[in-house]
Amino acid sequence: MPTSTDLLQGTLDLLILQTLALGPMHGWGVAQRIQQVSKDVLQIGQGSLYPALHRLEYKGWIRSDWGSSENNRRAKFYRLTAAGRKQLETELATWDRLSDAIALVLGRGAEASS
Amino acid sequence: MMTEFLTRLRFFIFRKKCGDLDDELQFHLEQLISAKEAAGLTAAEARRQALIEFGGLERTREQCAEQGPGWWIDTVLRDARYALRAFGRNPLFTVAVLATLTLAIGATTAVFSVMNAVLLRSLPVADPDRLVYLRTSNPPRGTGTIDSNQTFSYSVYDALRRQSRGLSPVMAYVPLSGSKVAVRYGEQPEEAEGDMVSGTFFSGLGVNLPRGRGFSEEDETKHAPIAVISYNYWTRRFAADPDVLGKTLYVSGVAMTIVGVTAEGFEGVEGGGSTDFWIPLQNRRELNAWGNPPEDGKLYIADSTWWCLRMIGRLAPSVTRAQAVAQLQPVFQTAAYVGLGSPMEGEKPPVLSLADAKSFPGYEQQFGNPLRMLMAMVGLVLLMALANVVLLLMARNAARQREFSVRQALGAGRGELLRQLLTESLILVTAGGALAWGFAEVATRLLGRWAEIESSLAPDRTVLLFSLGVLVFAGLLFGLAPLPVALAGGVEMALKTSAATSNTDAGKSRTARIIVALQMALCVVLLVGAGLLIHTLRNLENTPLGMRIDGLVVFGVKPNIPSIPEGVAFYQNLMNKLRVLPGVESVTIMEERIGSWWSNNSDMEVDGRLPEVANGASRTVRSNVAGPDFFRTLGVPVLAGRDFTDSDTAKSPHVGIINEQFAKRFLPNQNPLGHTIGPDNGQYTMTIVGVVKDHKYRSIDEEPIPMAWYMYAQIPMVGPMHVEMRVHGEPLAILPSARKAVQQLDPNLPLIRPMTQREQFDTTISQHVLFARLAGSFGLLAVLLVATGLYGTLAYRVNMRTAEIGVRMAVGARRPQVVWMILKDSLWLTTGGMALGIPLAMLVGRALTSSLYGVEPLDAFSYLLAVAGVAVVALAASALPAGRAASVDPMRALRTE
Repeated sequence: MPTSTDLLQGTLDLLILQTLALGPMHGWGVAQRIQQVSKDVLQIGQGSLYPALHRLEYKGWIRSDWGSSENNRRAKFYRLTAAGRKQLETELATWDRLSDAIALVLGRGAEASS
Repeated sequence: MMTEFLTRLRFFIFRKKCGDLDDELQFHLEQLISAKEAAGLTAAEARRQALIEFGGLERTREQCAEQGPGWWIDTVLRDARYALRAFGRNPLFTVAVLATLTLAIGATTAVFSVMNAVLLRSLPVADPDRLVYLRTSNPPRGTGTIDSNQTFSYSVYDALRRQSRGLSPVMAYVPLSGSKVAVRYGEQPEEAEGDMVSGTFFSGLGVNLPRGRGFSEEDETKHAPIAVISYNYWTRRFAADPDVLGKTLYVSGVAMTIVGVTAEGFEGVEGGGSTDFWIPLQNRRELNAWGNPPEDGKLYIADSTWWCLRMIGRLAPSVTRAQAVAQLQPVFQTAAYVGLGSPMEGEKPPVLSLADAKSFPGYEQQFGNPLRMLMAMVGLVLLMALANVVLLLMARNAARQREFSVRQALGAGRGELLRQLLTESLILVTAGGALAWGFAEVATRLLGRWAEIESSLAPDRTVLLFSLGVLVFAGLLFGLAPLPVALAGGVEMALKTSAATSNTDAGKSRTARIIVALQMALCVVLLVGAGLLIHTLRNLENTPLGMRIDGLVVFGVKPNIPSIPEGVAFYQNLMNKLRVLPGVESVTIMEERIGSWWSNNSDMEVDGRLPEVANGASRTVRSNVAGPDFFRTLGVPVLAGRDFTDSDTAKSPHVGIINEQFAKRFLPNQNPLGHTIGPDNGQYTMTIVGVVKDHKYRSIDEEPIPMAWYMYAQIPMVGPMHVEMRVHGEPLAILPSARKAVQQLDPNLPLIRPMTQREQFDTTISQHVLFARLAGSFGLLAVLLVATGLYGTLAYRVNMRTAEIGVRMAVGARRPQVVWMILKDSLWLTTGGMALGIPLAMLVGRALTSSLYGVEPLDAFSYLLAVAGVAVVALAASALPAGRAASVDPMRALRTE
């Protein structure tokens, strides 16, 4: 089993919001998607996923509705709200700024690659 | 932010359904299993691995719940529901705790409220720290005073007011009467408390007048006929009528226009009472200071021998008290002799000093010690009560150890247990506090009424903070104290099966035993205190007054007296009218009402000179002015000579009457009849025509002292008098017809403070009565607390030791031995408590000395009573548990193992 990487505080929220930006999805779908896209580096267990989903929902960034899954099972689908979309933009901008800054400090900044 | 708040609010109102999360998780798990199956695992293996990977559900559930709005409230509510259920299961415990808290915290709050209002609260004026009372070391020779240290002549006031730079301004104030003054608003005459004051009084004190205005210096110089009424009087008498300004208030028949109402809370600077209205200093005979008749035709303003004004001043900016005194001293010492001639040789000149005026005057003197003592007593009761509740909680929580262990075993952290305990304590304290506050309100009012404190006792912020402080302390104490016991079981205990064996740790109850022993010590202290005070009260109540007190009724009249003959005629008329009323046996009048603390005190000349007295004994004589039939009406035996009669008139020779003490001290070994006596200024002499038996004059607890009586119709002044009537049957029933008789003579005259003479004398011990009653109830409360505390502790120990007792009996212990085992326990506690309590009680007894009458601080009877009381209570409280221990059936006790 690949070692799971501890996610930075708050990063999980960003990942979930980004994933849901593609369209409504159930919890399992969100976890699978993040795992696939990260090439199995990021594995989100239900113990972190659902509390995070609930937190985002209580903040009003995502909404949930019951619907049917691909194999016709009853599942809860989450989708981004307008507030969530705005939040995603802010968080992405913050993330960019932060990762650039870290990269600079670590000496792998823009100059190095240019 | 807004979005989040609205969303949370929506979810708070429309909760997520309980099963939703479980369905979601179930779906997730199934997906995981199908994923594993899709990867090629067998169904069973896929399920197994998925379940392992999936992990526990409970934590997720909890974490999701924690995200939700109102999670915190839910937790608290859950804790509260749990606590309430637990209290409900144990109603006796709950009622006991609440009752204890209500009584103890309520009583403490009430006593503190009174103490706060009376001793701690500042005068409701601007910057009270800069206010000072003026005091003098002594008045000059040849003067009469109201209080030898606190009152001054008008000429002193006038000089200080004009020449003071250290105090700005100097204000004088003086009551219009020793008690209440006749006023009329509308038709019905009534009475109220009023002061004459300087024009600078309100501005100098910095009293707010939200309605109308105060006085000006011009009002004082012109003796303007205007009045300011107190907020209290305004609401009480005038129903807070906003149109009262401009209305007329007749004071002793003189019309005064109401020009202002003071701010709420200002009730004057007179100690021990509340002033209803103020008028500027006047200069007319109806409104002389203290309601006295003019002496030698002089009013207080002109009479520099009468030191009757009180003074208060405000320190000028950046002047210290010492500087102010230094500046005023020469002015004062000159002014003191204005109109008196130069000081006699070797006479000690009066020295001016300044005293703190930030709190109410007189209260400290009157209530200071008793109140502090009561506060100490009630504080002890509070301590005992809190200790009792802790004992109860400890016993209860020890019994709940298994419950706590089970909860810990199920995953509750120490934090959660602590939260639970604090919640329980918070509920108890909140409920107890609310009940206590209600109880305190009532108790404060009762206390104020009993102590005859007229100023407002409404609880203020200090009282609120005090009670909250006590409650918070109690809350933390009740929450934290039982925690060690609750946790003592640990997780393991849940695994032990036997309730009996797991509860036998003896050490745990050591704390409880120490608390009980301390309680007993405090109980001894309280009982000794109560015993001493109740004994004092008995002594006072049984003190013979020297007169037939039953059947006497007394009231004051304050007629308008234009001249002395007319005054004498008025009283003669009045007495004649009253004597013929049905049911009246005899009627007389007196200047000072007996049993009201008032008396005229002076040195007296005997046969033309001041009498010799052995080794510097006092020459002070208490005198009174009396009417005909005075001693017959009072029922005081005349030992030699005669009583005053109607035939003693202004034209007949001046006659006086003395008491035994007077004869014994100033006319020893001779027949006093026929000697002449008179005041020390030599201006009036009278011949002794009677000697009466010693009796009480000012108060019940006074010592016998030389006394002399003037005949009212013969002396050169006549003023307000008190009428004493001896009647058949119920004394107060005569009042309506007496009132009619008075108002036939003058429709403006109310009966001033009518009451039975016994009631009047009882007012002089009302403080003792109050004090003894409260001490008694605190003692009783203490006994009750000790009884419940001891009973609870012993009963709990017996319960815990049931198995042990069973074993002992099974191996041959007899019942008396078992009973003894339990009694020995309480005997030790009692002995220990008493050993500690008796020396403590001796200290307290010493502190009480000044409040005792006819009782030694080491009164053996009180100590015996206290010790016996505690012993009996201890025995009674241990009898039940001992009995229960003796009735343990060894077979059953062992079988429950």
